[in-house]
Amino acid sequence: MSSAVLEQFQLIGRDLFVAGLVSSHGGNMSMRQGDRILITRRGSMLAQLEERDIVDIGLEENDANVTLASTEIVVHRAIYQQTSALAIVHAHPPYAIAQSLAKDEIVPVDSEGSYLLHKVPVVEAQLTAGSTEVAELLPKWLKEYDLVMLRGHGPFAIGHLLEEAYQLTSVFEMTCRILTISQGMGGNVKEYRKGSERYGSW
Amino acid sequence: MSPVSPTLRPLRGLRVDLSTGASAEEELSREVAFAYLGGRGLGAYLALRERLYEVEPLSPENLMIFAPGPLTGTGAPASGRYSVTSRSPLTRTVFDGNSGGSWGVALRRLGLDYLVVAGACATPGYLLVGGDSAATAAGGGAGAPRAASRDGPSVELRPAGELWGLDVPASLARLRELYPGSEAGVIGPAGERGVLFASIVNNRGRSLGRGGLGAVMGAKRLKAVVVAGHGAHRPPVADPERLSFVAYEAEKLLKANPITSQALPEFGTSVLVNVLNQAGALPTRNFRASQFEEAQAISGESLRRDYVQRRAACRGCSIGCARRTSTGDASGEGPEYESIWALGADCGVGDLKAIVEAGYACNRAGMDTITMGSTIACAMELTQEGLLADGPRFGDAAAVVALCEATARGESLGGELGQGSARLAARHGRPDLSMSVKSLELPAYDPRGMTGQGLAFATSNRGGCHLRANMLGPEILGVPKMIDRFATLGKAGLLINLQNLNAVLDSLSVCKFTAFAMKEDYYARLLSAVWGETVEPQELLRIGERIWNAERLFNLAAGFARADDSLPRRLLEEPVVAGPAAGRVVDLPPMLDEYYISRGWDGEGRPTAAKLERLGLTSAAPGRVRETTAGVGEDAA
Repeated sequence: MSSAVLEQFQLIGRDLFVAGLVSSHGGNMSMRQGDRILITRRGSMLAQLEERDIVDIGLEENDANVTLASTEIVVHRAIYQQTSALAIVHAHPPYAIAQSLAKDEIVPVDSEGSYLLHKVPVVEAQLTAGSTEVAELLPKWLKEYDLVMLRGHGPFAIGHLLEEAYQLTSVFEMTCRILTISQGMGGNVKEYRKGSERYGSW
Repeated sequence: MSPVSPTLRPLRGLRVDLSTGASAEEELSREVAFAYLGGRGLGAYLALRERLYEVEPLSPENLMIFAPGPLTGTGAPASGRYSVTSRSPLTRTVFDGNSGGSWGVALRRLGLDYLVVAGACATPGYLLVGGDSAATAAGGGAGAPRAASRDGPSVELRPAGELWGLDVPASLARLRELYPGSEAGVIGPAGERGVLFASIVNNRGRSLGRGGLGAVMGAKRLKAVVVAGHGAHRPPVADPERLSFVAYEAEKLLKANPITSQALPEFGTSVLVNVLNQAGALPTRNFRASQFEEAQAISGESLRRDYVQRRAACRGCSIGCARRTSTGDASGEGPEYESIWALGADCGVGDLKAIVEAGYACNRAGMDTITMGSTIACAMELTQEGLLADGPRFGDAAAVVALCEATARGESLGGELGQGSARLAARHGRPDLSMSVKSLELPAYDPRGMTGQGLAFATSNRGGCHLRANMLGPEILGVPKMIDRFATLGKAGLLINLQNLNAVLDSLSVCKFTAFAMKEDYYARLLSAVWGETVEPQELLRIGERIWNAERLFNLAAGFARADDSLPRRLLEEPVVAGPAAGRVVDLPPMLDEYYISRGWDGEGRPTAAKLERLGLTSAAPGRVRETTAGVGEDAA
């Protein structure tokens, strides 16, 4: 692994924690490099990643490194196998989790979220962490959406670079904060976007 | 989506044999339409199927495949485009050129998805394709239009007469007089004379610039392909309301992105002169340096201040990157960034008026400005090295203009320059002084200042080209995000994604500039609306990967190998002397290894049998390639 790649993991891991998008040992990230996956180590602290915290593991098949990889490796691998993703960020942002408890899809009302997300599907699984159930469920949605919310758990965002997936995660949490605040205003929100009624069909 | 979806139509084509004058309608199945889309993909499919790797590029056996894509003329953003595919006389690879304008839309409005031109005219002629008898009759001339079938569009081969010998603007103007409302793709004197980098130019001054497709047309003695206007067929759109919604959202992104909403509309592509110079990636004096001391004088800002009359746009485009300019003595199209660089910084020329005039000379003759400028720069270095007697000197602006004109006429040194830099440098004993890959001259990005671009040049299926994939986005502009431009490893995946996506854009066919603001999911949604069923982004990229590998199979069958996936020696061994990239070279071998593995190719750059199987290319692979890939690296893909 090159120092440039490690630096990306470190910078974005730090930002995820500082921004309150993950708890001390929560969340995980990965990058695809050809037929290999670089993924954060199980139990690693995203704000304090070192070289030993990044695990190199096969895209198609397991190897011994699976003993170290994030519990979500099965989900990350399934996403890489079925989508165009080259990077994945999975976080546990509180407002997003709260919104997902009440909705089957989250449609932004703010401008930035509207541009970048249009609509975020909320999907549900009995076993939410590292399960084959999630591994079967999520890629189907991520084929069409760059960010999908797993109810009660957190979003999975994809991109060509870690920074892209991180940006979507950050924007999504901001969107959910704005939604929560505006809902507290009694739903008295003026529509300012042409065609926003169609976002549900995005 | 299923490849046999009922909403997906077969592709309707027309084949014309110039040798016999015969024409016939033909069709490609829905499976082919799904697998290759149209445009460049369709061209790659037919070039491989018809074994163009076995024909001489300038022989009558070579084909020219004109093809718009499924988004052309539908109202999707910046989609008024088409491709021409053939075997290039300059590179001898499969080669597609892609252009804006309205030609592609006009062809689709005749109900056609592609046009194949075979054979060669006995005497110079032009093709007139049109379903409108009124438009055809306006041309007068010999013979009635002939349709290949009763309800199909007419096609007629007409004598070129006075058109042969006219320059590009005069040819286009004359054809517009003859056929009001028509769209034409023409060659100029360079194509007629066989300049190996002659272009095809259509109305609005848009060019299929690179690789000498104009020379192929000239060898067929085909002056023009004219498509009569007024076609009544609206390109099919299964869900117009959905298309309108997605197109609106896409336009919002284009308007919100400063590159597509400000930089390109305000300055045109030449906005990049100062950007690349500041980055230390503006090749100067045949890549001897990577910064030009007179960059400001030839910048987009200077061009706008002194020469731009108005901006222009291809059909259906809100970006509007084209420029109409005037020097006072003459007016015309451009120059674009690449032209300013090739005829300017690469030749050590800081006289913008001379650069604009040299660009006009190339446009009149119908020649690729990149290869023209780079070949002059090569001649300048040969002169400096004492290998070319009485040749041009770096910085001689008047010589650049004069040599462009001499090349168009085939006079004196121009005759040699018309063969491109690779042949010129080899003839004078220094092949390493041609700054080319697979004999196609590199464009205006010094890969020692952006190493991913070096890998992009080396692996491009049509040679030294920035349009197969441009790492300008991630390495310089921060699109989608900024990466370390000097890093060697870790870029293969991103590059492959860009290569696959650009193959898709060239096949849809959509302007690549939209990708500064849009990702593959938008193109998938646009195509889904046109086809009426969901096309997933991953599916779209898989199509791009298929097209890329089909082109690779063609080149392997034509004799290309790993050794051809390289860069000029200078970029591998001579460190940049000064500027932000000082001390840098491109460490290509490990990048190439990583790239081949990521592509699912073996160590020699051949797709493995497993890769071909996954892409549905096993039966399409030429026998000689199949034999070498069988059983190779089954587990590597």
